[in-house]
Amino acid sequence: MSSATLVARRVLAAAASHGAEEAGAKTWKILTFVLAFPGVGVCMANAYMKMQAHGDHQPEFLPYSHLRIRTKKFPWGDGNHSLFHNGHTNALPDGYESSEH
Amino acid sequence: MAHQAHAYHMVDPSPWPLTGAVAALLLTSGTAIWMHFNSMSLMSLGMILLLLTIYQWWRDIIREGTFQGHHTPPVQKGLRYGMILFITSEVFFFLGFFWAFYHSSLAPTPELGGCWPPTGITTLDPFEVPLLNTAVLLASGVTVTWAHHSIMEGQRKQAIQSLTLTILLGFYFTFLQGMEYYEAPFTIADGVYGSTFFVATGFHGLHVIIGSSFLAVCLLRQVQFHFTSKHHFGFEAAAWYWHFVDVVWLFLYISIYWWGS
Repeated sequence: MSSATLVARRVLAAAASHGAEEAGAKTWKILTFVLAFPGVGVCMANAYMKMQAHGDHQPEFLPYSHLRIRTKKFPWGDGNHSLFHNGHTNALPDGYESSEH
Repeated sequence: MAHQAHAYHMVDPSPWPLTGAVAALLLTSGTAIWMHFNSMSLMSLGMILLLLTIYQWWRDIIREGTFQGHHTPPVQKGLRYGMILFITSEVFFFLGFFWAFYHSSLAPTPELGGCWPPTGITTLDPFEVPLLNTAVLLASGVTVTWAHHSIMEGQRKQAIQSLTLTILLGFYFTFLQGMEYYEAPFTIADGVYGSTFFVATGFHGLHVIIGSSFLAVCLLRQVQFHFTSKHHFGFEAAAWYWHFVDVVWLFLYISIYWWGS
């Protein structure tokens, strides 16, 4: 038998004996703390740094007719504010509510 | 005392299907009335009735299965089919919203500026919080799998820990998404971009909340010794549902957040 075949057989045998553990609770516990949580941590750090970088940016207000549709009043408050309205980043149809940021 | 000569579950008469149907009627008509006639009464009544139905119906199923032994293997097989069919129907539900998104975004009309995202829309950076949300849900998929194996191996404490972590990750996702909704420079009223974004992600968020609740009930049941290493279908159903929620998010992320930005 060629040396390549012998090497392949050895690798497969090693994989098979490791698979005897059948990916149990222990494996998924390890994956949780070695892969999943560090992945979340890296993304948390990344999001935080990116947020610090561009900070409080208020998009310029241009009175486009295809945005800020008010065909029907919202059924709450004065009917002119969306449910998650943010005075700093969401302009009303006439413009931002106040000039302060 | 009479005994059945088969392994199936002939369910006792129950009022909950009727109260559930009445709740659905009150909720739908109530929401319409709220939007047009400024009254929340019918909608609130429907919500209360829905919550009562949910609590009592599922409490009864737990009693029938865990305490009265009605969930034999063939019965459990039927429950599995049921959950798979339900999740399949939910897949089609979301397919509709993806259809709407692609319909509008692949051929943007002149009113939008003939482009996607439409003129004047500042999209969210897909590599900020949306990427974090992706990591959170993927991580919760790992922890829920850890929980499943723990239950199958009879590892009570690990099952409780991993299930708790899964639920916490679910809460974290909901919190992050709520924050994103508040900080977003566009609203649901911003044309078809706003509509497709908030309806698709909004229904997804609702499903995250439902999935987290389902998992929380499983946690309570695990603590109270309801599950055995061989019989824990309630948990399996919750885990399937949770994976479905995760997969829907992946499609949302790639379509709306990434391609659509």
